[in-house]
Amino acid sequence: MRLSEDEIRQITLSAIEELGEKASPELVRKVVQTSVSKIEASSKAAVSDFSSGRVILTAYGLNHPGIVSSITKALSDNNCDIQDISQKIMQEFFSMIMLIDITNSARDLKEIQDEMSRVADDLKIKIFMQHEDLFRFMHRI
Amino acid sequence: MPYEFDEILETIKMTEIEHFDIRTVTMGISLRDCADRNLEVTKQKIYDKITKYGQNHVKFAKEIESKYGISIANKRISITPLSIVGDAFKADEFVEIAKILDRAAMEVGVDYLAGYSALVQKGFTNGDRELVNSIPYALAETGRVCSSVNVASTKAGINMDAVNIMSEIIKKTAELTKDRDSIGCAKLVVFCNVPEDNPFVAGAFHGVTEPEVVMNVGISGPGVVLDAIRSAGKVDLQQLAEVIKRTIFKITRAGELMGRKVAEKHGIPFGIVDISLAPTPAEGDSIADILQAMGVEYVGAPGTTAALAMLNDSVKKAGLMASSSVGGMSGAFIPVSEDAGMIYAAKMGYLSLEKLEAMTAVCSVGLDMIAVPGDTPATTIAGIISDESAIGMINDKTTAVRIIPAYGKKVGEFVDYGGLLGQAPIMPVRQLRCDNLVLRGGRIPAPMRSLTN
Repeated sequence: MRLSEDEIRQITLSAIEELGEKASPELVRKVVQTSVSKIEASSKAAVSDFSSGRVILTAYGLNHPGIVSSITKALSDNNCDIQDISQKIMQEFFSMIMLIDITNSARDLKEIQDEMSRVADDLKIKIFMQHEDLFRFMHRI
Repeated sequence: MPYEFDEILETIKMTEIEHFDIRTVTMGISLRDCADRNLEVTKQKIYDKITKYGQNHVKFAKEIESKYGISIANKRISITPLSIVGDAFKADEFVEIAKILDRAAMEVGVDYLAGYSALVQKGFTNGDRELVNSIPYALAETGRVCSSVNVASTKAGINMDAVNIMSEIIKKTAELTKDRDSIGCAKLVVFCNVPEDNPFVAGAFHGVTEPEVVMNVGISGPGVVLDAIRSAGKVDLQQLAEVIKRTIFKITRAGELMGRKVAEKHGIPFGIVDISLAPTPAEGDSIADILQAMGVEYVGAPGTTAALAMLNDSVKKAGLMASSSVGGMSGAFIPVSEDAGMIYAAKMGYLSLEKLEAMTAVCSVGLDMIAVPGDTPATTIAGIISDESAIGMINDKTTAVRIIPAYGKKVGEFVDYGGLLGQAPIMPVRQLRCDNLVLRGGRIPAPMRSLTN
């Protein structure tokens, strides 16, 4: 979770108030920076316990050259981080499952899904992207 | 990889091949603060409140659908039983409110809004009586409003006066909607022990003990259970129960997740997940098919009730483990018109009203979406409702009757509504009379079971 401008302004104001006469521009900046990074780090830890920005991508269809490269190219264009890949060929069928972190992507899940469904159409395969929580809820107690 | 290849493929298979979806996310909205002496003011308050809370209902549900890749078949709204909100109004004024509810439902984009209801198990208030009398007109003049009336409970017994009135109301509703195969009756449920947090329309309403606004979820997934049973092959019944439980566990977890996330988006509390197995007329999405996969030749064969009992119990056990907010009906639904296998069995004469009645003693609802000849006497319908209520009252469970005395139709004909309501063959009803029993009126006293304190 990133802090909003308003929240940062609040932190700055309370820092100035607390520092009182000692407040100099450099000191205030330093105090604010450390407290913001502390808050962001702690909220990140809390969030990852419940819900992450990780998505499971499942692709399957008739095997042909270039599937993995097209998919990974589209993902890297969207600044998605591939954290794990598992891939199998069963007879002539290709199947691949990826664990992807989309936290740093400028696009949201819906937009990436739309993009990937275009890729899937081009490749004549099926691609699903579902939030990781679904699998955690269904398969982990 | 934190998840096994097979686990991920199993989930994909459920959603893509086996029709697993979330049947409904239902937003419960309290209308208690909308009461006013002036009809126009009440109407405006109701319209404003429903459209205010409901405006993003469909949009948010769609966003969650795409996030998790599981479709949510229906987005619906339930409201405080209307007789409580409008206790001072007359029947024609209630019909006006029904029209406003219909407009509000259309505005927010939900296909059904339920809660045109009264709770009269122990007796009628003036408003209850007016609302009940207005039901046939309200259902005939609206498309999205659903109605339910609770006529019995384990604590109160069976209000036979209410049963008699409701059977007349059902007949009247059938007549007023005769142009559309008496469709009004498909939106009218008579209950015993009605749950106050049921997300499934037509019997949903937002109980008086519920919060201001709440999100309830009804899951589905007969197709998933069917497939699991088929692939289990020839195993004994204990192992079969395990297979059912494992499957239900997973779909309940998915349902709870989706419901919580939709509620979170709205910033409103999550209520319950109703773990009922609800069929649709789609191929393979049938409770009847599950019972057949368990081993009966067709629904209605000896053994059907036993198979259904085990299925229902396994659903409950797995659901309870999977979620700490199980509520509503939570069992297996056996609506005739909404289940291809049930339709077939009824058409072939394998399934009688009496067998269905036995089945309702062990499953979560009751005689649901059953079409009978249009000339069935009201007292016979009252007899059917009181039988069903007796099962509910004595066993401390919910039972319901959604019966369609199809106006002008006879055994061998069909009512056909298309869509989720499906089609139903007109089933024969015994010609023996029970007038002398039901017309005694009064109340069947509450049973021993009610004295639990």
